[in-house]
Amino acid sequence: MQVKTNSVQVHELSLSLSEQPDSITLSCAGSADTRTSKQLEEQLRDVHAKAVARQLRGVVVDFQKLEFMNSSCFKSFVSWLSRVQALEDGSRYTIEFKSNPAFHWQSRSLQALSCFASDLVRVTA
Amino acid sequence: MKATDAHFELSFSPNMDLVNVVRRFAESFYERLLDDASLTARITLTTHELLENAIKYAVDGQSWLRTDVRSDGETFTIEVVTRNRSDRRFAAELKARFEEMEAIKDPSAFYLSLMRRSTAQSDASGLGLGRILAESEMTLTCELKDDEVLIRARASGMCQPITSNNGVIKNEGA
Repeated sequence: MQVKTNSVQVHELSLSLSEQPDSITLSCAGSADTRTSKQLEEQLRDVHAKAVARQLRGVVVDFQKLEFMNSSCFKSFVSWLSRVQALEDGSRYTIEFKSNPAFHWQSRSLQALSCFASDLVRVTA
Repeated sequence: MKATDAHFELSFSPNMDLVNVVRRFAESFYERLLDDASLTARITLTTHELLENAIKYAVDGQSWLRTDVRSDGETFTIEVVTRNRSDRRFAAELKARFEEMEAIKDPSAFYLSLMRRSTAQSDASGLGLGRILAESEMTLTCELKDDEVLIRARASGMCQPITSNNGVIKNEGA
């Protein structure tokens, strides 16, 4: 199986994209704050474009090493979900968030994302 | 939570690079006093959001943060307060946002409406205060005097168990 990976470090946020034939995994680690929101937004737009072009059924976002995320970066995920919602029926894909129960903020923030797009978001620990 | 009456206060020149440092310090402070991981996460999130706002909108490069934790062993009160000087435009936007928040009955539904609105905004997220209301379950008040902005977030309750809705974001009215 061919796997293509691409990693970027922006201040205290590390983003790693792993592309497999039938899936994409975006791993976020560290702290996502105001200084990193632009790069995160660009990364999420890139993931969305790839998912649409490859007609993927699902994308995985790994938050297991994500210590904190501020509201600017949270908004980038809201915008991403909104873009997926805007796709035609049959073109939408699901987003699975792998969470870390030790980071308590994640359960609340991911619950909010689930409510925003309950048909698209799946949260696993 | 043990009986306590503790606070810390910080006054510094805005520097976004310091926010994470302050958040981690505040988290350790709350952890030690609250002995409640979920409550600590709620207050830490609030501290980060308010501090970033204070830094972002300070016109003179100066921000101030104070947090108070009080408990008699049975009940607790926690306050996070930021203060900064801002321009008129931001003060007017803030005033309008707080007037809107005064009328809300369901923080979760309000937060979801902010999330929907945020997708049409290209600059500021506009989600920080809603996140404090819904995710941190804290009340918010704002005092505007001349060009000074003071924002106060407050949480109170029983020490054990926490008599809250445990941060569940409901989808009512979505």
